[in-house]
Amino acid sequence: MRVVIAEDAALLRELLAQMLTGRGHEVSAAVPDADALRVAVAENRPDVAVVDIRMPPTHTDEGLRAAIEIRQEHPGTGVLLFSQHIETKYATRLLAAGSAGVGYLLKDRVADIAEFTEALVRVAGGGTALDPDVVTQLAGASGRSHDLGLLTTRERDVLSLMAQGRSNAAIAQALVVSLGTVEKHVAAIFAKLGLPASEDDNRRVLAVLRYLGG
Amino acid sequence: MSGHVRQARSVLGALARAPFSRRAGAEASYCLLGLPLAVAGFVLVLVPLLLGAVLALSLIGAVLGLLLVLVATGLARAFAGANRRLARRLLGDDLPEPPTARPGGGMLAGLDARLRDAASWRSVAYALAKLPAAALGAYALGWWVTALFDLTAPLRWTLLSLQVSVPTRGVPVITPLPFGSPHADSFAETFWAAAIGAATLAGAPWFTRGAVAVDRWLRRALLGAGPLARRVRDLEETWAIAVDDAAALLRRLERDLHDGAQVRLVALAMSLDMVKEKISCGGPATDTADVRALIETSHSQAVEALAELRSLARGLHPPSLDDGLANALATLTAASRVPVELGVEVSRRPTPAIETIAYFCAAELLTNVIKHSGAGRASMTVTQVGGGPLQLRVTDDGCGGARLIGGGGLSGLSQRVRTVDGSLDVASPVGGPTAVTVTLPLHA
Repeated sequence: MRVVIAEDAALLRELLAQMLTGRGHEVSAAVPDADALRVAVAENRPDVAVVDIRMPPTHTDEGLRAAIEIRQEHPGTGVLLFSQHIETKYATRLLAAGSAGVGYLLKDRVADIAEFTEALVRVAGGGTALDPDVVTQLAGASGRSHDLGLLTTRERDVLSLMAQGRSNAAIAQALVVSLGTVEKHVAAIFAKLGLPASEDDNRRVLAVLRYLGG
Repeated sequence: MSGHVRQARSVLGALARAPFSRRAGAEASYCLLGLPLAVAGFVLVLVPLLLGAVLALSLIGAVLGLLLVLVATGLARAFAGANRRLARRLLGDDLPEPPTARPGGGMLAGLDARLRDAASWRSVAYALAKLPAAALGAYALGWWVTALFDLTAPLRWTLLSLQVSVPTRGVPVITPLPFGSPHADSFAETFWAAAIGAATLAGAPWFTRGAVAVDRWLRRALLGAGPLARRVRDLEETWAIAVDDAAALLRRLERDLHDGAQVRLVALAMSLDMVKEKISCGGPATDTADVRALIETSHSQAVEALAELRSLARGLHPPSLDDGLANALATLTAASRVPVELGVEVSRRPTPAIETIAYFCAAELLTNVIKHSGAGRASMTVTQVGGGPLQLRVTDDGCGGARLIGGGGLSGLSQRVRTVDGSLDVASPVGGPTAVTVTLPLHA
């Protein structure tokens, strides 16, 4: 997997590059701002870009704007945004053009390297990786809490993992249950919420998010 | 002796030149133009005001009466504005416009706001009081006219004697002060008249200046911002500064955390996870060096995160301040690169907020000394006597030239001090020494 990193804190940028290289990935470029990111992506056509949202010069949403552009201009490059705080508005803007090949994680998630790289691989492969906080916030902002009350605790866990962009297999692994159990839960959720069942992970994420976004 | 002579000569010269100075001309013009304006203002304000007041007393005419009163106050404001402009043009006396009444809500509320507007009523008072002041000005103008009239007495005599053989009744002489009605009955006597004219001319500019001074006093008292309005303006300004300051502090704090400690802690957690992975893999012994390196990085990240958090915390509130200003300043000055002689004599302890401001002022002034002055030594004194204000004084023997300029560090400090009604004074001639004095009340 070929990766471009855009992060203004040198310490984190280097550590990320070191970690990814150590796990056998190729870091084509590691840059400190959004303009350099655009250039690096155009030059290297990586599988995925890891992008800090807040970067110079304004330290607001440079990374997000670059990410949206990259998704439009280089559909082959997935973008994983990460930041110190989750902003629901940013998530909505990112997902407006679809959930394929995008991710939005809290920076803290880097601390769990295995999960972080798993998310990165998922985004590189055209999947979705959303932070549990994004899912919670989206659900909290919607008026669907009553419907969600119909779900069992386990079903809510599964829904949250689905919304994060995970496949049934990954959900089974995360919850330490069999694949069959997960499939049963998923079917129950879709039935209870009246969502169209879908085999495709991306469409499923979108359906769930749209539902949560109410 | 010659010094006295020179002094007397220069005083006499000034007196002789005074009637022909630009200032005398401007002041006389002000009296001249002010007179018709004053008469017009007096009439235009008083008539609708009286009419309105009388009508407002009757039940039927109340509405019309109130409207007339409003017209009177509006005219008074316009008159005040005209006077303000005249004074600015001719006398260079720039008096800030008072804030206009901002009627809010419905018609009744607007009416109420207009009727209650203090600035309008002060303008009314000015329109009425201006008339006697203008009369004084007119009298001052009389001096100028008198002077011109008497000075030309010999000329008039000559002209008259050309027409008629000898002026039968002489030429009249007028005096600024009532003094019968003297006549010059011979050509020689006209020179007496001219002398009176010269004396009057010498006095005219001073009398004019007096009349203008009375008018200025009236203008300041009635048309300038009242003490309350000035105070409100001052408070609004410093309040805005305080709010901006607080917001900027929070933003800086967030930025510092975001770019500093938070990044280090994320990196620390990441490094530790990498260590965990390496250990749980149970790899060959060659990995030990890798693991050790990772642990060392983690350790240094933790140490740096701690240092950053500590400096952030100290930046918010130095813990030593809880034990009083003297202790905190002792800690501050002890760490200074430039040796500082510290003296603290405080009889009544100020509130914590004032102590904090005093401390940060001291810290910033000391930083300035170290960074910009090139001083070899500095002294810092804090004094507070009886119920008086707290005075912080920082002096150094450096290069001087420190100034309060907009956007500069000192002016930022001065603004912050003003938010609690304090003040900051800088005495810093080029070449030094520099002395900055911060005066703070004991409570905000």
